[in-house]
Amino acid sequence: MELLRYVTIGQYIPRDSPVHRLDPRTKLLAVLVWMVVIFFVRDFVGYSLFTVVLLTLLAVAQIPLGYVLKGLRPVLFLLVLTLVLNILFSGPAEGKVLWRFGPFAATQEGLIRGLFVGYRLVLLVVVTSLLTFTTSPVDLTDGIERLLRPFRRFGVPAHELAMMMTIALRFIPTLLSETEKIIKAQMARGADFERGNILRRARAFIPVLVPLFLSAFRRAEELALAMEARCYHGGENRTRMKQLAFRRGDVVAWIFVALSSGLFLIPADIWLTRL
Amino acid sequence: MAGDVLIKIRNLRHVYNPGTPEEVLALDGISLEIREGEFVAIVGANGSGKSTLAKHLNALLLPTEGEVLIAGMDTRRPEYLWEIRQQVGMVFQNPDNQIVATVVEEDVAFGPENLGLPPEEIRRRVEEALRAVHLEELRHHEPHLLSGGQKQRVAIAGILAMRPRCIVLDEATSMLDPQGQQEVLATVRRLNAEGITIVFITHSMDEAALASRVLVMDKGHIVLDGPPQEVFSKPAELRRLHLNVPQAVQLAELLRQEGLPIPRGIVTPGELVEAIWSLVPRFAKAGNWTLASLALENSRKAMQGNEQTAITCEDVHYIYLRGTPMETVALRGVNLRIPAGEATGIIGPTGSGKSTLIQHFNGLLRPTAGRIWVDSIELPASGAVLRELRQKVGLVFQYPEHQLFEETVYDDVAFGPRNMGLGEEEVSRRVRQALELVGLDPGRFGKRSPFSLSEGEMRRVAIAGVLAMDPRVLVLDEPTAGLDPRGREEILAHLQTLRAREEVTVIVVSHSIDELSSLTDRVAVLHQGRVYLEGTTREVFSQGKRLAAIGLRVPVVAEVLEKLRERGLPVRTDVLTVEEAKETILKGLKAFS
Repeated sequence: MELLRYVTIGQYIPRDSPVHRLDPRTKLLAVLVWMVVIFFVRDFVGYSLFTVVLLTLLAVAQIPLGYVLKGLRPVLFLLVLTLVLNILFSGPAEGKVLWRFGPFAATQEGLIRGLFVGYRLVLLVVVTSLLTFTTSPVDLTDGIERLLRPFRRFGVPAHELAMMMTIALRFIPTLLSETEKIIKAQMARGADFERGNILRRARAFIPVLVPLFLSAFRRAEELALAMEARCYHGGENRTRMKQLAFRRGDVVAWIFVALSSGLFLIPADIWLTRL
Repeated sequence: MAGDVLIKIRNLRHVYNPGTPEEVLALDGISLEIREGEFVAIVGANGSGKSTLAKHLNALLLPTEGEVLIAGMDTRRPEYLWEIRQQVGMVFQNPDNQIVATVVEEDVAFGPENLGLPPEEIRRRVEEALRAVHLEELRHHEPHLLSGGQKQRVAIAGILAMRPRCIVLDEATSMLDPQGQQEVLATVRRLNAEGITIVFITHSMDEAALASRVLVMDKGHIVLDGPPQEVFSKPAELRRLHLNVPQAVQLAELLRQEGLPIPRGIVTPGELVEAIWSLVPRFAKAGNWTLASLALENSRKAMQGNEQTAITCEDVHYIYLRGTPMETVALRGVNLRIPAGEATGIIGPTGSGKSTLIQHFNGLLRPTAGRIWVDSIELPASGAVLRELRQKVGLVFQYPEHQLFEETVYDDVAFGPRNMGLGEEEVSRRVRQALELVGLDPGRFGKRSPFSLSEGEMRRVAIAGVLAMDPRVLVLDEPTAGLDPRGREEILAHLQTLRAREEVTVIVVSHSIDELSSLTDRVAVLHQGRVYLEGTTREVFSQGKRLAAIGLRVPVVAEVLEKLRERGLPVRTDVLTVEEAKETILKGLKAFS
């Protein structure tokens, strides 16, 4: 139970919004398109427009900005690293020098470039979390399966991948609570997970990992049997209760994604000359 | 009510791993017919072949020899495979390991989806199946948030959605609490009344008594087959097979031995009450016997003896996941004194806080508010005091065999003592002693892998692992859960030995009143995070009505006596054993003659 406090997997935030109601395939494709677009945008004008669009979508989807910022925390280190490396190494040698540290020189171009690449990372994270915040894991899995289905003839195991994702999602909470139980049981037998050096601590987890793996295998075996007993025989001739269907909202979304992507890609000087 | 033959088994033999050293003959010449609409219970010790037989009924296993016909279809013919699995559905023991999807209704749809039905038809069947198990409101829930009983009902719904003719339940109630067992049983009986054939594999004779036919298996054979009345009228035979006999049957047998004309074939408490009441002379029934006019024996105030206290809880509160949306209050002010050197039972419905409370006793949880003393240690403790506490209070969790991890039994039992930093000589002494205490010969078992043992033996190894730390207080959470009657018997016998050892205080958490009544001196009943009743075992278990009010079932003997007393027979109701019940019924009947 207590472990749940620290793990937030599939941070789906259920709301009733036009974004939530979109077909998962629409959202998956939109994210895919935008991720490519992010890499082709050349300047801050495009990113500013992008930011406005994303903030609007978050507002429409009723996702508090705080949640989104919290999602950036794990990549914070990466952001800082990107910034530092770009400042120090990417600026052209003849650029305007801001600071000097021994052999390194921080140039204005380097700083701008660092900020640019860093912001690109932020946008990538926000775009993907917009997807996970507004799409339930079940819909997400369904969407992936159906998008991959045409690629089956090239050997992409669409159904199997989706089934694996479903089972993983289903068993994560079960295995978490089991882990907690085993940790407590071994602590009751005097196991100590907090003292000693890294090697000792790693060794201390053997009494947790062995039972956990054994139980996972046992569960897998029993689950396989139960699935077989319910006539499971792979994706062949299988139907689904839930049918995905594109609606008017999805068409609107496609047009919106296409138009906005075009807009983001217009280089800054065109904007400036038009002004 | 029974119709045509649905399942026909001829001379079925099943051998696991044929031709290898691990070859096991699991079924040895089974012949059996089950008709449409029957409710068949299969009982038998672990290893008797029950589950193997069940897996033949929907072609999860195929005969080594002989044949299995389901509605005339031979299970060995591949072209019938999916038709057979659709007609015979199967519910397994562990509720967690048979739910596939992350949402209840999606899981129910899993079977029909595999059958390739059109979406509208699947939708219709899912609705219908959820309605049949009364889970319509939970359709959008995540399965891991459901109770065990609810999960098993989801599993049943998943089978119903395939429109089967027969449902096989393989020990499907053994991991559930009494309430979950009731839920599943009620569902199954309702479905049977609607015409679905039920094959119900169980360790519980009280459950088997509800069937229309009971099969008893032993070493791959069917040794008894008949209606429950007939099968339970052979208690000696059942005992030989390590199966327990329903308490009502035991009591009827004892009374018969005393010369009372109690008819054979009594299975339920209700039938027994009728049979005893019919012995009371008619004039007496018509007379003005009232409870008040009868001198009831005073219940013996058992023992005041022990003044020393092992554990004291003062207004203990505990809140899980405090400050998150999933915050749950588990304890709301527990006040409890557990005397040293005695055996105390802790009982209560699921969610009453039992498991939470005992995790405070060795400092695994820290009270949100309130105080706890163990001996002279005041909790919460930390550092060296916490380590001392963990050694002083041994905690055996539910299904402790799932925490075994070492290569040999010896090393696993030695894990605790080694963590305490004891020398190898002392460790060895303790391991030996602990294994002996649970009845496992250290010489024979020490070098074996714990995973090669039977379930009951594995559990005893796990208990030994805690005993080897030489705790002053031994806490066991549901020590017999999920074991077959023989495994249960063995664990209970060893706990009796431990309890007799003065220096150890034993605390047993259990759902089963029958178990605690023979094992403990005192009982504390928890309800909604507070102590609801507390006292000697006798005092607490004579409060049938108050226990029933919070959903706890009183022992069968107490139920019989209470009903007799309501009708006016002067009997005590604070009895714990079948012997005591016999005595008081004989005395009560004498009052009339």
